Amino acid sequence: MSVESLSTERVSELGGKAKNVLGVIVKDRWAAAGLVVIVLFVTLGILGPALAPHDPIRDTLRGEDNQPLRTEAPSEEAFMGTTAFGKDVFSQFLAGARPTFLVGLFGGIGTGIVGFLVGLVSGYFGGRVDEVLMRLTDLTFALPLLPMALLVLTFVQPSTPIIVLVLVTFLWKMPARVIRSEVMSVKNRTFVRSARASGAGHLRTMFYHVAPNVLAVGFLYTAYAVSWSIAVEASLSFLGFGDPTTTSWGTMLQEVFESGDMRDAWWWVLPPAIGISAITTSVFLVGRSLEEIINPEIQTEGDQ
Amino acid sequence: MSFRRFLIKRITIAVVLTFVAVSVIFVALRMLPGDPFSSLVASGGLTTEQVDAIRAQYGLDEPLYVQYYKYVVNLLTFNFGYSLTNSQPVWAVIRPRLVATLILLIPALVATAVVSTLAGMYAGWNRGSRFEKYSIVLTTFFRSTPAFVTGIFLLMVLSYALGIFPAYGMRSPTANPEGWYETYVSADFAMHYFIPFLTSVLYFSGDFLLLARNNVVERKGSEFLNLHAAKGLSDTEQLMRAGRNSLLPVVTYFALRMGMMFQGVITLEVVFSWPGIGRALVRAINQQDYPTVQAAVFIMALAVILANLLADVTYARLDPTVAEGGES
Repeated sequence: MSVESLSTERVSELGGKAKNVLGVIVKDRWAAAGLVVIVLFVTLGILGPALAPHDPIRDTLRGEDNQPLRTEAPSEEAFMGTTAFGKDVFSQFLAGARPTFLVGLFGGIGTGIVGFLVGLVSGYFGGRVDEVLMRLTDLTFALPLLPMALLVLTFVQPSTPIIVLVLVTFLWKMPARVIRSEVMSVKNRTFVRSARASGAGHLRTMFYHVAPNVLAVGFLYTAYAVSWSIAVEASLSFLGFGDPTTTSWGTMLQEVFESGDMRDAWWWVLPPAIGISAITTSVFLVGRSLEEIINPEIQTEGDQ
Repeated sequence: MSFRRFLIKRITIAVVLTFVAVSVIFVALRMLPGDPFSSLVASGGLTTEQVDAIRAQYGLDEPLYVQYYKYVVNLLTFNFGYSLTNSQPVWAVIRPRLVATLILLIPALVATAVVSTLAGMYAGWNRGSRFEKYSIVLTTFFRSTPAFVTGIFLLMVLSYALGIFPAYGMRSPTANPEGWYETYVSADFAMHYFIPFLTSVLYFSGDFLLLARNNVVERKGSEFLNLHAAKGLSDTEQLMRAGRNSLLPVVTYFALRMGMMFQGVITLEVVFSWPGIGRALVRAINQQDYPTVQAAVFIMALAVILANLLADVTYARLDPTVAEGGES
């Protein structure tokens, strides 16, 4: 990736790269579109509940005869229609971005950090440390995520922090494996050996000399973990194991499915479904264009 | 490390992992507050004596380590006990569900592996083409969107809007087929099969396509292909050679996917009301039918462990440097 130079140069080189990355993403049409969706999603995640014209759970929309508007198609009162319980779909969609966003953000970052540290330590030390940590990842691979998460969430009241914790527990193995193999290819390079030879301790060598060289891959897998987290949260919520106190996009899909209105109430189904697929896909599209920077071998040629 | 030692090590790891997974399930289920029998007492359905008798029948009155020992032996012999809500052996409940799941997923997985690997090779060979760009974007959409959301989109279009395919179950309520031939080789089954099958194929497709494409891309400029080109092989012949050399990761990935296929299938089966093991698990959890829960989770974990073992061994067999270089 980089020429073997002084480590300080490598760090500043990394800063320069970060600027270039944005340039590359903007040049890739699909990744640029993905970036727009991500920015929109983050905005909704922060402002969504405040923008919502009604409370997504408490407010019931009523017609002129004061009867709740149940499963009403989009109209003047409710521009995305209403749910079977007379709630405003548009408000639920806006507010539902927040729990989805929080789980994605913290699940992704937590997964990235744990995975990065495990991969770094495992790859750097090798030997017994590596053996123990890798058997631990084997174990989390052997425990299937969704069934185990369902098990845990039957006896622990589901809440956003608990769901994040479960996600990180089962997802860190993905970045850990990749980071480990990256670290193994870096750790025998000359600048690492010379750092060791000139008396740098393990910690310093690991974090100052090795880590910056695998940081890009770490970011990439953190991004992917955001997408996985959102997907798993949606799946758990859809199965009825989501945080019952908030309305996420997954919860909306569960409600429309359970109510049996999926066949008719397209206005209630499409907003959360499109929301989920748009954000998970966007993260992956941006990730792919980052991957091409990290591994130019696989670059798509002739992208405008 | 000889291949034999490698094999023994891998099998040992798989066995240990099975025990640990089994133990985790045991602990998780024992930590659940209350057991289904106490709720029976509370509801006044049974007397305390009757409940004690049932508890003894299930071995719940024995010390924990005896329970654990019996539990492990039972699981490993596929003796899953009695379902609490279906009043028949768990295996009798689970087996047809497992068959329904495998009938959906194995053909989907095989079809995806073949079709998207070929498409991926083609995309990699024609770098910069429209086909390459659009196939990647399209499969990225399907691999990152949760399977049940894709399923919902397809249901809305193919089933609700156009009314071509039924939205629910594995066969029509009126169909009452006998024997596997009548059950699985019928127009009714095929109609019910189509959308879940398509959803699974689309969900699996992205990884195979990218894997095959990246492999071909990485090999395209390589020495040995230049040699073949110099020998006068046509483009297609060269692609075939490149493809053959790209098969290793695809085969390994296929094995891994086999193990992980129960992951996406839970929501998929719920959304299509497909009577498979994933839906059975969700129902068993909701009904606190613990024997069924532990059997379903155990089968899913075992699938992952066996698939991992198979993937490792296949990889080592096809690429001897893995075993010789000493893994890890």
